[in-house]
Amino acid sequence: MSETPIPAQKSRLRAALESDLFYTFTRSPVAVVAAFVVLLMLLASVFAPLIAPTNPFDPASLNLMNGFTAPMAANDFTGDVFLLGTDDQGRDVFSTILYGMRISLFVGVSAVLFAMVLGITLGLLSGYLGGWVETIIMRTADVQLTFPSILVAMLIFGIAKGITPVEYRDQMAIWVLILAIGLSDWVQFARVVRGATLVEKNKEYVEAARLIGRGSGAIMLRHILPNVLSPVLVIATISLALAIIAEATLSFLGVGAPPTQPSLGTLIRIGQGFLFSGEWWILLFPATTLLALALSVNLLGDWLRDALNPRLR
Amino acid sequence: MLRLLRSAACAAALAPAILASTAQAEEFSWAVTTDPQTLDPHAVNTAAVLGFLNNTYEGLVRRNKDMRIEPALATSWEPIGAGEGWRFHLREGVTFQDGSAFTAEDVLFSYQRAASPEADTASWFSPVSDVKIVDEFTVDFLTTSPNPIFPDSIANWMIMDSGWAEANAAERPDKESGNYATLNANGTGAFQVTSREPGLRTVLEPFEGWWGEVEHNITRAEMTPIQNPATALAALLSGDVDMINPVPIQDVARLQDNPDVTVTQGIEARVIMLGFPHQAEALKFSTDTDENPFADARVRQAVAHAINVPAILKTIMRDNAEPVNQLVSAAMRGYSNALGDGPAYDPDAARALLAEAGYPDGFSFGFKCPNNRYLNDEAVCQAITAMLAQAGMTASLDAMPVQNYWPELRAGNYDMFLLGWSPGTFDAEHPIRFLAATPNEAQKLGSWNFGGFSNARVDELLPQIQSEIDEDARQAMLDEVAQILQDEMAYVPLYVQPLIWGTRSNVTLTQRPDNFFILRWVSVN
Repeated sequence: MSETPIPAQKSRLRAALESDLFYTFTRSPVAVVAAFVVLLMLLASVFAPLIAPTNPFDPASLNLMNGFTAPMAANDFTGDVFLLGTDDQGRDVFSTILYGMRISLFVGVSAVLFAMVLGITLGLLSGYLGGWVETIIMRTADVQLTFPSILVAMLIFGIAKGITPVEYRDQMAIWVLILAIGLSDWVQFARVVRGATLVEKNKEYVEAARLIGRGSGAIMLRHILPNVLSPVLVIATISLALAIIAEATLSFLGVGAPPTQPSLGTLIRIGQGFLFSGEWWILLFPATTLLALALSVNLLGDWLRDALNPRLR
Repeated sequence: MLRLLRSAACAAALAPAILASTAQAEEFSWAVTTDPQTLDPHAVNTAAVLGFLNNTYEGLVRRNKDMRIEPALATSWEPIGAGEGWRFHLREGVTFQDGSAFTAEDVLFSYQRAASPEADTASWFSPVSDVKIVDEFTVDFLTTSPNPIFPDSIANWMIMDSGWAEANAAERPDKESGNYATLNANGTGAFQVTSREPGLRTVLEPFEGWWGEVEHNITRAEMTPIQNPATALAALLSGDVDMINPVPIQDVARLQDNPDVTVTQGIEARVIMLGFPHQAEALKFSTDTDENPFADARVRQAVAHAINVPAILKTIMRDNAEPVNQLVSAAMRGYSNALGDGPAYDPDAARALLAEAGYPDGFSFGFKCPNNRYLNDEAVCQAITAMLAQAGMTASLDAMPVQNYWPELRAGNYDMFLLGWSPGTFDAEHPIRFLAATPNEAQKLGSWNFGGFSNARVDELLPQIQSEIDEDARQAMLDEVAQILQDEMAYVPLYVQPLIWGTRSNVTLTQRPDNFFILRWVSVN
């Protein structure tokens, strides 16, 4: 990185934003709204400890008598009022959503980053080197694609949970989730990057780089990678929505985030038990939040795909 | 084309006929949260297994709708001499479901099987010194000391055919790896298992050769395990199943207003309590102490003081459960009325006791809990975790399905655990024998006393309680044990679990306080 003159790169980025992407962005109301919602939720979860009225992860601060308080209604025993009500343990639903969203977004973003790094590396290697490297990587990818990714994630989660010592299981649960979702998701990145690399590696600029004696690693990273990144960006955004949902699914099934540190999926699992009994707020608010989050990220991804694809413009 | 139309019309005409015929055959289906882990009546002593097997196997005696014992495979019984044992006269003309005849040989075989070290039911026979066949339909049970409650204590001991067990190499139960008797059943009961798919469904059909008088009108019954209570409730509301047990507590109020569904409520015999590792050198899951604070009675009392049981009953149990101060509920024989209330909710007292025991800053530990065994068990454990945290005891909660739970407890992988205990004999002596007596495999005592609680006076009183015939003297000893267990806080008793069954309105049944679902008392109208 240090070889490149930084100002040049910065102006390139700015030029791209000013000329093309940013212009289409301002022209798409859906993208603007989606981006606004995502930004709002990001900020809300980053600053959750400042915004949330209570800390739902601190068991010592909970009062069971506050359990099942309806939104904006005074509790029968304590008289406390909660914006979105409380769950069965007396946790403020608004605070749990903020903290839960934090876990959901953290797991989603980290898992996608992990999958992206892994997928790009393997995709570049197999596309550029070809031969047995490509065979091993892409056949592994094919095998993995035959399983639904949620099953792969559950398998990895189960193995990882089995080998972590019990006393660290709660702390490790989040990292294990990231690993499980990331490992179940790298294939798409690898396939797209490999495809793009196959096209790029025969172009003149790559041959020119090879002629002046640059090594394979440098060619892959400095020359090919920047040119295959735009489809990766699109997949990353859509994968983010999928990763958030995958995390929610795992937690909903009870194999993800522990109940004492609920993510949005855990909250939905807890709330689902009270659907028939009339305590609708325990399910509705976390579910709506998850819906808004996943939908916004997805819409943003859709827009990005259209904006970056010259044939659709 | 015409033919196609005709066959479609045919199918349409047939469809109502099929529907009508299935409605006529009184099929009954019910959902349980825990699938019985085995069909072997001697392999696992849990309510899920024994409750289900009561429909297909029978004992010498059985419990009626009021929980009193009545003749089953024995027609009568009487004490031998001055408390030397009991003589049982067996019912003649009874056959097992595979057609073989029931004789005294099967009783002796079932005793040897159920009392073997491989069996989970061995402790039922700790008072028995010998079993003798007098003739083909008379059996003597000799006891080491006078045992007035012996017939009462064997109502769940089920008789297996000796020939069938030997032919299928199932002479001894095998809890771990299983054998033929794990997946197949051959009892003398009113229903026989015609299909068994563990975790999916179990199908029962009436046994034509049953000796008893048929009260039910069921032609086929199917049991489906549904782990998620909300899913089970949805299945009941939509009519997919005719009965669920339990109904989620939070839904009781709404279900009572539904004309399609009947809610049957009662007080169960099951006491929910917390248990501790009394003998452990150190806590297994602590990050800040290498001692075992729970070995100190003051710490266990601190736990009792830290838990706000009324709040749990008010919110999570929604006023559907009763608090309790001992290991049995007030409905049980031998309940100690003399015993004072347990420690009241008082976090300051809890902190003071912790400081006195040398833990002024508290400590961390691992708390094991089932998440599909007792009503709202995980929610109760979460609430307890929060309450203990407020008194300085930081629990890391590990809630798991019951299939993994018992092995974890047996392996000692806990610092504190949640346990529900329902005395099979409906007598206060039962939990003392299983939970409070010093574990002793040879004498078949303390087999569920995971933490190894041990008190010399309790061990001394137990055989006296078992053989005392005078009610007052017996109660005085039971009172003394209850007092010791409360002073020592061997377990922290929390509440008595309610029984809540939901059925479709066209079903009539009888709910027994031991939460056993007896299929032969069900009719579909």
